[in-house]
Amino acid sequence: MTDLADLPPVRLAHHLALARPALPLLAALALWAYALRHTDVSDLDDFGLVSAVHPAFWAGLVTLTAGFWCIVRAPKRRQGWSLAYVIGLLLMERATQALLYPTPLYSWAWKHDAVVDHLLTHGGFRTEAQLGDLAVYDQWPGFFAAQAALVRLLGVDDTAVYMAWWPLVSSLLLLVPLLLIYRTFTTDRRMIWTAVWLFYVANWVGQDYFSPQSVAFVLHVGVLAVVLRRYGGRRGGHGPGYRHGPECGYGYGRQRPAVWTVLLTLLVTTIVVAHQLTPGMLVVSLLALCLTRRYRDWVPVAATVVIFLAWCLTAALPFLSAAMPDMIRSVGDVGGNVEAGYGTTPTGTGAIAASWAARLLSGSVLLLAGLGVLRQPVLRYRALPLLLVAAAPLPMFGASSYGSEMIFRVLMFMLPGAAFFAAAALLPKVRTLAADLADLAAEEATARRRRIRPVRPVRPTRPVRPIRSTRLLTARLRPGIWAPPLALLAGTLAFVPAYSGKDRISYFPPQEVALVRHLFEQAPDGSLVVAANRNYPLAYDAYWRVDHYWFLDDGRAHVDRIVRSPAATLARDMAGVAPPGRAYLLLTRGQVADSEMNGQLDAARLDRIRGSVAASPRFRLIAENDAGVLYVLRPAS
Amino acid sequence: MLTPQELVVRMMPPFGGWLALAALALPGGSPLRGAAVVAFLAAGPGAALTGVCGPALRSRPAEGPVARPDAAFERQSDLLERAMLAVLLSICAVMLVSTVLLAVHAFSGERVLLVLTLLTTLAACSPRLRTPPTQRPKPRTRKGSAP
Repeated sequence: MTDLADLPPVRLAHHLALARPALPLLAALALWAYALRHTDVSDLDDFGLVSAVHPAFWAGLVTLTAGFWCIVRAPKRRQGWSLAYVIGLLLMERATQALLYPTPLYSWAWKHDAVVDHLLTHGGFRTEAQLGDLAVYDQWPGFFAAQAALVRLLGVDDTAVYMAWWPLVSSLLLLVPLLLIYRTFTTDRRMIWTAVWLFYVANWVGQDYFSPQSVAFVLHVGVLAVVLRRYGGRRGGHGPGYRHGPECGYGYGRQRPAVWTVLLTLLVTTIVVAHQLTPGMLVVSLLALCLTRRYRDWVPVAATVVIFLAWCLTAALPFLSAAMPDMIRSVGDVGGNVEAGYGTTPTGTGAIAASWAARLLSGSVLLLAGLGVLRQPVLRYRALPLLLVAAAPLPMFGASSYGSEMIFRVLMFMLPGAAFFAAAALLPKVRTLAADLADLAAEEATARRRRIRPVRPVRPTRPVRPIRSTRLLTARLRPGIWAPPLALLAGTLAFVPAYSGKDRISYFPPQEVALVRHLFEQAPDGSLVVAANRNYPLAYDAYWRVDHYWFLDDGRAHVDRIVRSPAATLARDMAGVAPPGRAYLLLTRGQVADSEMNGQLDAARLDRIRGSVAASPRFRLIAENDAGVLYVLRPAS
Repeated sequence: MLTPQELVVRMMPPFGGWLALAALALPGGSPLRGAAVVAFLAAGPGAALTGVCGPALRSRPAEGPVARPDAAFERQSDLLERAMLAVLLSICAVMLVSTVLLAVHAFSGERVLLVLTLLTTLAACSPRLRTPPTQRPKPRTRKGSAP
């Protein structure tokens, strides 16, 4: 056996030097692991994960970002290190919740689990007459159909087994399409990886959870990557295509094998079958690309429009014909489309802080992108198509409010382009090709001279004068040196409150899940579940046989009536359930958190409602635990 | 004539599909079963499809950045593109096949996997798509240099 001490010292030093880039990464992951072991999420306050997570988590993020900044700027380092750091970032940002919380987050994710359950129960799609509003999911079923297959093939009960990991999976899926897009416009590895990093830290919008839009967005970015790489036209030796321009002796023009269009059609069809909004965003992005001579190819946009229309006029027609009047009314109403709806006003210090962190993060990245566009004229010219793709979603503000979410969706679809120019703002100026070639020629000439010139006797050189410490300090304090890493670090840290600052709303402890499960296990067909709002797990469970009523979604006058006289009003609202159905009232901590932090009823008022129901002879307590209560309405007799 | 190495690469995706089908015999929730199914669904069908179309897809170089020619950079980009297509087309295949089977009320997990495996096997056994000679790029001749 060889002892380490027997190794030659030079080899050991070489190995240590090779492993040096791993040290910050390993340190960050160790701090993260330590933080995970010492974080208690059983009693979240209004700041969500931000105040609950152990301080070692923040130290880990700082270490990781600092390590990444050092690695990415070293030209000789292998790209594998940048990749390792980005994966480290994704683990810390998108896997922390999956590891900390025992149940999946977000009521919407639980709703999507219910849709999968519906497909598995019925083995086919159903109509609006059978399902009501929720039939919309049967008209864009791609994602749910695939999940239904996966549940069966894995042999698990439901998607809740793996859906907590979906944010990590969908974020990892975005990595290669993003890299391809950025590699179409630059060979500068610093810019490519910094843009990827910025994209991930700015993508706080939370559409990466278990949802059709998470997969549709991956496919959207994939289509853009294919179009940018394969549908560009030759521009006579400038811009993309330079390498294969006249110097190469080949003239490709816009000719391309039809097989690319076939593959593109497959990708677009899947997007269309999976999600309503993404095809619209794709159409505007592809139209924006057509504004440039370089990408004036109508095949991708025509294919997308035809497939989208074909789906809308057939499978999705029932939903669209019902929703069309509202959609037409909202066209052009930009103010109304970006306005937050009732029940979405952040209330309380924690919710307001999370909201501001998100706004500042998005604003800063867009500001940085603007700065990058201004200070990088060469890149602005070369990556004009990406700039157009970044700006393309903006007109969608005028198209629809998309349930008060349009502003977030537009931001998300802008990010792939915006992150690239934001990275350009943090890195040195890109030079023209002529300047690069001149440098190359000068280097070659120097090398040639060195080869030809006879070796001269070495002249004694003057001793190197040490740089004065004040000059060195001044150089290091230049904003150009410290501002970019600080901006990157601030963005990375701001992601946490923006993404996890409202976890008190999103997280449902196991007791809450057990309480709702208990309800659905005993609810006969035709039952009604009444709750304050839909923010609880399994809210849509068995939606094909059990109805729901969320009283905070009702008109303000009726909500006021419920607050004034809770038990009597609720009993009246619930009285119409025909036997064998029963009427249940469910109040849980998730509903209270959502109502309080979004400016609806505060905890005191909801407690009053609960007290009134508990005292009323019309209601009977069925189950109760730390997370909530479940009552059933007694028959009127 | 295929070399043994090419044959292995070509048959890997369908083999993954048949392996995943065999893994269904394992108890539900078993990690081995999950790994076999997820590995095939995540890349198998797409890898087979990009394999069939590969020569036609590569017949024209991709757009690239304005920079000094860098063969390694181009090679890496092409490799990333193939990997992306393999994964994204697999996702497309799973979503579309599941949707069609649900639409015709013939859905079951085993059927989805069987259809995908058969399609993957068919793709692996198909001859590679080549670019028709009319679409192949021709060397440009300068004015006066034609023979």
